[in-house]
Amino acid sequence: MRTPIAWLNLVHEKTRLVVAIAGVAFAVILVFMNLGFLGSLAKTAALIYNQINADIFLVSPQALEITTTKAFPIERIYQAAGVPGVERTMPLYVGYLQWRNPITRQSRAMFVYGINPNDPVFVMPELRSPENQAALRRWDTVLIDRLSRPEFGPQDIGTVTEAGRRNVTIGGQYSMGGGFASDGTLIMSDQNFRRYLAPIPLNLINLGLIKLEPGADPQQVKAELQRILPKDVLVFTRQEIIERDRDYWISATSIGFMFTMGVIVSLVVGVVIVYQILYTDIASHMKQYATLKAMGYNKRFLFALILQEAIILAVLGYIPGFIIAVGLYELTTRATAGGLPIGMEVSRAVLVLVLTILMCSISGLISVQKAVTADPADVF
Amino acid sequence: MIHHSTAPSFEFNDIGLADDQYAVRIRNLSHHFGTGDLKTQVLYDINLDLKRGQIVILTGPSGSGKTTLISLIGALRSAQSGSLKVLGKELVGLNKAQLVEVRRNIGFIFQAHNLFDSLTASQNVEMAVELLEDWGEKRAKAAEILAKVGLASRVHYKPKALSGGQKQRVAIARALVNEPALILADEPTAALDKKSGREVVTLMQKLAKEQGRTILIVTHDNSILDVADRIINLVDGRLESDQSLETFVNTHDPKSLDRRMFIM
Repeated sequence: MRTPIAWLNLVHEKTRLVVAIAGVAFAVILVFMNLGFLGSLAKTAALIYNQINADIFLVSPQALEITTTKAFPIERIYQAAGVPGVERTMPLYVGYLQWRNPITRQSRAMFVYGINPNDPVFVMPELRSPENQAALRRWDTVLIDRLSRPEFGPQDIGTVTEAGRRNVTIGGQYSMGGGFASDGTLIMSDQNFRRYLAPIPLNLINLGLIKLEPGADPQQVKAELQRILPKDVLVFTRQEIIERDRDYWISATSIGFMFTMGVIVSLVVGVVIVYQILYTDIASHMKQYATLKAMGYNKRFLFALILQEAIILAVLGYIPGFIIAVGLYELTTRATAGGLPIGMEVSRAVLVLVLTILMCSISGLISVQKAVTADPADVF
Repeated sequence: MIHHSTAPSFEFNDIGLADDQYAVRIRNLSHHFGTGDLKTQVLYDINLDLKRGQIVILTGPSGSGKTTLISLIGALRSAQSGSLKVLGKELVGLNKAQLVEVRRNIGFIFQAHNLFDSLTASQNVEMAVELLEDWGEKRAKAAEILAKVGLASRVHYKPKALSGGQKQRVAIARALVNEPALILADEPTAALDKKSGREVVTLMQKLAKEQGRTILIVTHDNSILDVADRIINLVDGRLESDQSLETFVNTHDPKSLDRRMFIM
């Protein structure tokens, strides 16, 4: 076996090694956090749609994502109801409402779902409790999301405050999470929705929800719906609309750009840190490298040696970086009360490992220039 | 003393000896540094033959071109003009990769030991054995040569735990482990005290005699001149004299010899 000189050189300088590992770990953590936020964008989109009890969604072609929709005629879901394989169609109204915190008297925008109380629009079982069902049917009464930010004030049942210049009573609670677009959500009946978000007529809906009969093929029904419906609605399966929302957040908003930029900047910082460490290491070993060359080792050997050091640093820095990132993910999830679903995924762990190795290799390639110039004639 | 302009050649007419009886054959070797206006000639028309099995000391004042000459012989620099045959191979005109190949047959001992602090004595020596891709025996070979240089009990010590003389002996072991036919040493005693320096040189002499190695030592240290079969003096890039030890000592007044050695 070849003497593991790269490894021995690195572990020989304990302090330098610790600093190097800390530097790499730092970059790894930053990359993980940025990718985590980016990933939670995607998850958020899925999170909302997965709580909706529908297989096919109708939206206006002008809709960007669930909180930015354009209303279309309710007749579309009546037309869809006639298609074979469709079990049930339901309207969903969405909009923003100013919700006043009853304690601080500060108003904030709350995202509102308006539903027909007779429709099983959401899958959350707690919505079907008799208390919540009764509350949904009362005037000026709403259900509030427990995962709404604390700035919206108390969520206790019976709390009375003001929303959109009307009194409102909290009649019940559910758990859903608002994702990136909203800090809090409400569910109310379509009748209440019409009054709070006046002047919206109930014959214009934001989403058409279509539940299929068991065994029906979504693609087939989708094709039929596309055939019979006018061009003022688009037809998506659940997976498609999740991807559409995700793509919107990632590519059409600055959020996606911001986190991608964050990843790049973190990697650049990592490259610089590792370069510094490797350069110092090379500078202090120039005589030895020149001696190796005098003995008959070629440039390729030194090249491989520095690259090995870089990759060892990558792996050694990745391990603590990974562990700390998992901890920070947990912390973020808790800090946002589950509203920001951020968690470790195998694919991301692998991606970051590859990026880290790439990052260190780039540093290695930059710093190796110095090592290969070690002139054996200089040691004489 | 021979006049510079005559460009003396030594053993040049010794036709009786075949090429492979020489470790080094140099003909009309000149060397320049820099280019254009800054071009400076450092070696002038050197002619020199080193027979196999000889211990040769190369001496001369600072800036006389000793180091340039030894680094050319060691294939550490590209030779520019003339002819330079090392172990039967012509070095003039070789590219860098070919020079690397030549170097694998030469043992180098430097002024500084240049050992890796992170490696043990054995591992430092093994680095040389690995050049031959001799994985199986490298440890045994390293241990054997370290025993020969008197470091049997220090095989697994790192350089920090060794004295200056011991470190230089590890460096010698590293240079000798692959049994090179030619060993080049640049001021091997400079970093050592008198006693360790003496030990190191005696050791080199012993190993050379046992194994028939050619050793070229560049030195200012006149206390080690006695190990040499030949002493070559280089002044201002020209070979000034080439004589046996006795002649060298006899022709140099001891006082002036000493003075010359100290100002260098």
